Amino acid sequence: MNADRASHLSLILDLSPAQWHLSSAPSNPSPLSLETFLSHVLTFVNSHIASKPENTLAVFGALPGKSVLIHSSEIADADGSVDIPGDPNSYRPFKLVDSVIAQNIETEIGGLYLADEEPPVALVGALTKALCHINRTYQTSAERSSTTQNSDAVPEPRILILSVSPDLSASYIPIMNSIFSAQKLKVTIDICKVFGPDTVFLQQVSHLTGGSYIHLEQRDALLQFLIMSFLSPPFMREVLAVPKQDKVDFRAACFCHKNIVDIAFVCSVCLSIFCSPVPVCTTCRTKFPIKSLQRLQSARPFQTGGPSGIANGVSTPANGSPKPRPATAS
Amino acid sequence: MPPRRTDVDSGSDSDSFDESSKKAKGKTKAKEGAYAWEAKYTRSWDTVQEDEGGSLQGTVEGLIARRRRRRLLEPTAAVRRTIVRHLFLLIDLSDAMRERDLRPTRLDLTLQCARAFVTEWFDQNPLGQIGIGAMRGGLGDRIVEMTGNPQDVLTVLGERHRFEPSGEPSLQNALEMARSAMSHLPNHASREVLVIYSALTTVDPGDIMETLAACVRDRIRVSVVALAAEMRICRELCEKTGGTFSVAMNEGHFKDLLFELVPPPALRTGPKTDTRSSTSGADLMLMGFPTRLPASAPAALCSCHGAMRRAGFLCPRCRARLCDVPTDCPVCGIMVVSAPHLARSFHHLFPVKPYAAVYVELFSVYSLSDSRSSEQRCHACSVSFPTQTQQHQVQEGMSPFGRYRCPTCSHDFCPDCDVFVHDVLHTCPGCEN
Ligand SMILES: [Zn+2]
Ligand SMILES: [Zn+2]
Ligand SMILES: [Zn+2]
Ligand SMILES: [Zn+2]
Ligand SMILES: [Zn+2]
Ligand SMILES: [Zn+2]
Repeated sequence: MNADRASHLSLILDLSPAQWHLSSAPSNPSPLSLETFLSHVLTFVNSHIASKPENTLAVFGALPGKSVLIHSSEIADADGSVDIPGDPNSYRPFKLVDSVIAQNIETEIGGLYLADEEPPVALVGALTKALCHINRTYQTSAERSSTTQNSDAVPEPRILILSVSPDLSASYIPIMNSIFSAQKLKVTIDICKVFGPDTVFLQQVSHLTGGSYIHLEQRDALLQFLIMSFLSPPFMREVLAVPKQDKVDFRAACFCHKNIVDIAFVCSVCLSIFCSPVPVCTTCRTKFPIKSLQRLQSARPFQTGGPSGIANGVSTPANGSPKPRPATAS
Repeated sequence: MPPRRTDVDSGSDSDSFDESSKKAKGKTKAKEGAYAWEAKYTRSWDTVQEDEGGSLQGTVEGLIARRRRRRLLEPTAAVRRTIVRHLFLLIDLSDAMRERDLRPTRLDLTLQCARAFVTEWFDQNPLGQIGIGAMRGGLGDRIVEMTGNPQDVLTVLGERHRFEPSGEPSLQNALEMARSAMSHLPNHASREVLVIYSALTTVDPGDIMETLAACVRDRIRVSVVALAAEMRICRELCEKTGGTFSVAMNEGHFKDLLFELVPPPALRTGPKTDTRSSTSGADLMLMGFPTRLPASAPAALCSCHGAMRRAGFLCPRCRARLCDVPTDCPVCGIMVVSAPHLARSFHHLFPVKPYAAVYVELFSVYSLSDSRSSEQRCHACSVSFPTQTQQHQVQEGMSPFGRYRCPTCSHDFCPDCDVFVHDVLHTCPGCEN
């Protein structure tokens, strides 16, 4: 691994107004408002660009029902249209990035249609766009230049997700697809859970792509955590003692109700996941033998109180404690 | 040019190999040019033609167009995957691997074919796991632990220095190693060993017939692909355990033999007593998804070996400590698998609809009513669309504007993203908002 290789960071910001409202509520042990959060993020972003002149950056925003590209080094370079008045007290590239990001986030949030019920945040949309962006900008160009000479000229890509929303069990399948694409592109995905309970799926994302997952406890120290844990490219982290992930929950969401389940019934033909025994697989239309249905029905009482997810209702993702039953062992 | 040769060759080689194997699966083996090694040697750069301006743009676009068309032709019928398979690949790393009767050498060919084999195998057996062992210096050498991540296996297979041949092979030691690596596996998982054997001898510490009997008892299916000639013990191993034995005659034949082992073996009525549901093979399985404990977890006795361990997994039903998944929980008997292993097959279940090439200039018509038509950038990667149309040499299935529209969310995507979304990501960024 070449230590001189530049790195590309795709930053995904979870900008759910509802969650940020909760996060800044004074009743929290350590309230963190969106403004403070953004100022920390901007400093972090500047440190990333400052670490190496060739480092590149893309910032994506996940908003309710919508995901947008907020800033990208490639596109900003190509446009060169942003006109920011000079400020003798700040380094111009920082100033450029800061004001573009701040402006765009402001317009995006300002343009949100305020409904009674906020649609879920399009985190997966932002994640898939980040992967497409990395594929287009870095992978395709690496392929094309690989015949000429070194691939070190191409920045090493990684993704950092700053999440505040709970698990979106409806997007389980796209999240899993994104994980395998990231593995193929050799992109590590880091997760920083800034607010709210741990999310099962994001834990799996970071674990399977070789990134780290950090649940932020001291939220006023956000910037310190960002710089200590996520500024260094992945190959440096083996040298630095970066906080390691604690437990990883390998649970899945059932296809029938999108509940998060830890015990499930799986079709042996297509591997679809169901939370209760079904006579016919809804995905591949395979009929299952009656005998095994009866056998599985009788095996169910083991699950005290039925599948864990059903108690949480159909539409609400399992927020609250990530463990449906308290761990007795360990 | 010459220094580029190896590079270009190996790349194009594996590609064309993949394609031909896929075709062979779908239809009968009605290949036009018989086997690859009978065809004339073609240099891949000869097939690339520059246009009048000396640019390769046209060719590149042609390649993309071909891929697009191929995708549109693919059948959309339901895919059938099979249950859990486990394969231990034993590669002979004795001195006999240095032979050059198979080009470039037996070893290089084996590693090259093994990479293609592993990719294809994981594609067809998403819940499967592969481990790799080597036979050298009279010992069995575990190179890759059983893993469900194809990338792990492929990375190691790419590290040539880890496959340095030396000494004599020991079939018995290697089989014992493979047997112990698969001892924890769940009951209805298949256990298979694939031996790529180059030597004509084996140096064993004991009676290999005992190992053979143990393999039969553990229902391990041993298949051998020999690179040199038939050996009696190899044939017997395969026959007794229900595997296949074959001898590779040349490079192409060797690849074919390996790829014949990719599809899951037919359910055999061997020592297995359970044949009730084997008629269709379809069944509903009860599975548990565990919690993985970090290496910093407090040590506890594991339920599989009774040993003190820190890292491990927790059975979701009884919270017993397990060393490895997938496995049958020794306490409550549930099959414990990690859910991401299941997820690798999801993209077969819910494919993204093909994007339609945009032929007609719609911006002027819709610019007032539908703001989407005026999107200036690819919805996924945000790279601007070309402003000028490339009316010259537009091929069938290609958009003159470089725009491809999702029929579901009607966002426009660039050709790069179109290919990436359908071949790798399997999720439309537009439909996900
Ligand atoms: Zn369900
Ligand atoms: Zn099914
Ligand atoms: Zn154990
Ligand atoms: Zn158990
Ligand atoms: Zn694109
Ligand atoms: Zn779409």
